[in-house]
Amino acid sequence: MLEIRSLSKSFGGVKATDNVTLDFADGSLTAVIGPNGAGKSTFFNLITGALKPDSGQILLNGVDLAGRTPPEIVRYGIGRAFQVASIFPSLTVHETMLAAVCADQRRASVLHRRFPLAETRDRAEHAMELLGLVSKRNRVAATLSHGDQKLLDIALALVLDPKVLLLDEPTAGMGTEERWRMIDKVRELWEKQKITVVFIEHDMDIVFKIAPEIVVLCYGRILATGTPEAIRRNEAVIEAYLGSEHHAGAAI
Amino acid sequence: MTELQAEQAAAVPQPEAGLQRSRYFDVLIALAAFAVLAILPMLTGSKALLDFVIRCSAFGLFATSLNLLVGYTGLVSFGHGMFFGLGAYGFGLIMQRTGVPVPVAFVATLVITTIIAAVIGAICVRLKEIYFAFVTLAFQMLIHSTILSWVSLTGGDQGLRGGIPRPAFFGIDLSNHVHLYIASCALLVIGLLLMRQIAQSPFGYTLRMIRDNANRASFVGIDVWRAKLTIFVLAALFASTGGIIMALFVSGAYPEFAYWTISGEGIFINMLGGVTTFLGPMVGTVLLLILNDTVTRLTEYYGIVLGIVILFFAIGLRKGLMDFVVEWYTQRRNGPVE
Amino acid sequence: MPQWMLPLDLDALTGCLASSACLVTQTTSGFIIGMLLFLVAVGLTLIFGVLKVVNFSHGAFYMFGAYFAMTAYQFSGSFALAMLCGAAGTAILGLIFERVFMSRVYGADVLMQLLVCYAFVLIFDDVVRMIWGPEFKSMGMPAAFQVAPLFIAGGVVPPYYLLLIGVALAAAVILGLGLARTRIGKVIRAAAHNPGMVSALGINTGLIYGGVFALGGMLAGLAGALAAPVRSLTPGMGFSVLIESFIVTVIGGMGSILGALIGALLIGMIRSFGSLGFPLFTEGLMYLFMVIVLVSRPSGLFGKEVA
Repeated sequence: MLEIRSLSKSFGGVKATDNVTLDFADGSLTAVIGPNGAGKSTFFNLITGALKPDSGQILLNGVDLAGRTPPEIVRYGIGRAFQVASIFPSLTVHETMLAAVCADQRRASVLHRRFPLAETRDRAEHAMELLGLVSKRNRVAATLSHGDQKLLDIALALVLDPKVLLLDEPTAGMGTEERWRMIDKVRELWEKQKITVVFIEHDMDIVFKIAPEIVVLCYGRILATGTPEAIRRNEAVIEAYLGSEHHAGAAI
Repeated sequence: MTELQAEQAAAVPQPEAGLQRSRYFDVLIALAAFAVLAILPMLTGSKALLDFVIRCSAFGLFATSLNLLVGYTGLVSFGHGMFFGLGAYGFGLIMQRTGVPVPVAFVATLVITTIIAAVIGAICVRLKEIYFAFVTLAFQMLIHSTILSWVSLTGGDQGLRGGIPRPAFFGIDLSNHVHLYIASCALLVIGLLLMRQIAQSPFGYTLRMIRDNANRASFVGIDVWRAKLTIFVLAALFASTGGIIMALFVSGAYPEFAYWTISGEGIFINMLGGVTTFLGPMVGTVLLLILNDTVTRLTEYYGIVLGIVILFFAIGLRKGLMDFVVEWYTQRRNGPVE
Repeated sequence: MPQWMLPLDLDALTGCLASSACLVTQTTSGFIIGMLLFLVAVGLTLIFGVLKVVNFSHGAFYMFGAYFAMTAYQFSGSFALAMLCGAAGTAILGLIFERVFMSRVYGADVLMQLLVCYAFVLIFDDVVRMIWGPEFKSMGMPAAFQVAPLFIAGGVVPPYYLLLIGVALAAAVILGLGLARTRIGKVIRAAAHNPGMVSALGINTGLIYGGVFALGGMLAGLAGALAAPVRSLTPGMGFSVLIESFIVTVIGGMGSILGALIGALLIGMIRSFGSLGFPLFTEGLMYLFMVIVLVSRPSGLFGKEVA
């Protein structure tokens, strides 16, 4: 269970995250939506340790992670993928996976065997299978297509066996068809792995069709939380979206 | 390349990546190389050739260790030569002042290097690219000016003179030229083998991850600062070993060993040979030393010639020789890459 | 003194601090060192600010400035012409260097840029050795300044020192005003801030880059020319100045002109007073000071947060 308790962060007086309190139940799938500048990415950055919160708690199974460094938080079990695929351009897909698993298993000292253990290889193999990257295992990451790089980024988070997976706009920069393929993949991952998945998404069609739970952020605050039906009917949400974004309004 | 071509390329069985290649292969190559080097004195009476190989050992260890920083981790150190100088002076001083056996002095020098490198590294590795380059350079100059000014200990600009005693141990007499030659070759081969293990071990891949994308590496759970510090210290140890070989070779230590130009040459050697292959710096060392010896014999304006060669590589080729060879080879094998 | 101790002469230092004559002399000499360093360092910091290139061969411009000035003075006997030749000659050199060589490695990594500069450090030193010879040269004090020194609070101050400080200060003020007030200055500052934006505005970035290099070269050349009467000239004289200007820019903060001024004066004073207290470890003091600054403020005293 991931519990966020009155989390706040401001940049020079602007409150990017303002007293956010939220629960993510184990095995839930939640979409975080909100207009541009709503503080969605800041929210993710706070949870993963990229930014230090001004105040508040981030409790993962009762352990407070607020203010810890990214490597520590990853080791507690919160993995993330980035809006712009963040990968290791010169490594092949397979090398990326193996190296990440070795680091995670603390088998990455100079004295460790080059020939990875069966367990290491299995985990790498499993992650590549889940994201459909097996056929591209020997491709250098920089030469992968945009979509495959996003998949590799997610695989890199998943291979660490996280309890919670945060995906910052998994469909960013993709065409309509590719978006649906990606989001189906995300849903499939969630179903197979039984982990907590939180993702940021702009496309309302996708959000309302896929996510059982939705969190709406606006100006760093929580505007509403609930099921797609509840969010659709929520007055404040309609107001915020109709006021700013035509596309979203049409979707609702 | 199109998607279809890419699929085909992936379908062709390719040699598995470095992580899975056995290390015994490297050991085999190392043994073969050592065997060739070891029978060299029996084939030729040329003292000059053996001297050349000894110098290659000293600078090769130094340059390859610099590549662990520059090529594998993306840390452009402009002060790596300080550890070369530290090795030479540390070893020379211990031998001159205490008279302990050679292996003890060797180990003691490495211990001293570890401590100093850990302190300097702890300060430097958190700095960004260009600042890292210049703070390491500043430390190099600090050590150099300490050597120059601490005359009572180091002999100042005269260097450590009067020869370094080299008492025999385990039947090895380093004042014998051939013994010194064999010992240098052994240190070189063992050093390269150890560095190869570092580069190909999972830790080596941690370094590559940091080089490619340090931010992402920290979200894979890697303590970037610690990994950088570790490789900084490890690289310093091999550079120091190079310095020790140099001190044994010239039977002394001079401030030039700790001067910034050593670092500059190290960077240049890496550039010359190429940083994308493990043996690139070794090739670069041999090239630079040959260039060095030929040019100084032909002209007193060594700098102009060396400068033009550097420009040719930096602006003309834009890569090192080994990078060039590897690229050319893969292109020939796989057909032109778009 | 124990045999293994570093040489240390605190008595000389405290003695000097207590005497106004000594204080004036040392402070003046600190100012001289500082202002010369500032002229070199400010070019370095400008070039870094606008082009994001660390010009490792910047010391060569200082060296050429000195040699140009010496030759011009020997032929014409005019001090003013010597200064002009030193500054203008290196400005042209800087422009050529940037357009022909450096402009080819802007896209490349730091390593490549350092190497091109390293190549020119080697080449320029040998060129000077070829033209002027490897031995120490001296320009000599111009006749106009061969007058009795001034005495300020008991301290000896040669009049040339005052001219040197004055010219360097004037250059600093003109540069500061030029960057703040003129159109070209604004463009340069904009380029330092955001290179893409300037080319989007339809301004020729190549011209700006070449101009900044020429300006940096000119300032370093002026420093060399000003130093020529009071320093001995030798191939390789640029390198120690280069290292010191690096320390200055790193202490002051890369890209900051005010930082370069403060950093240069600090280093000047450390050199001047340090030579009393730590006669053989003066250089070491500078490096130590730099390390201390960097450890406490990694981007320098006046540097922006490193992006």
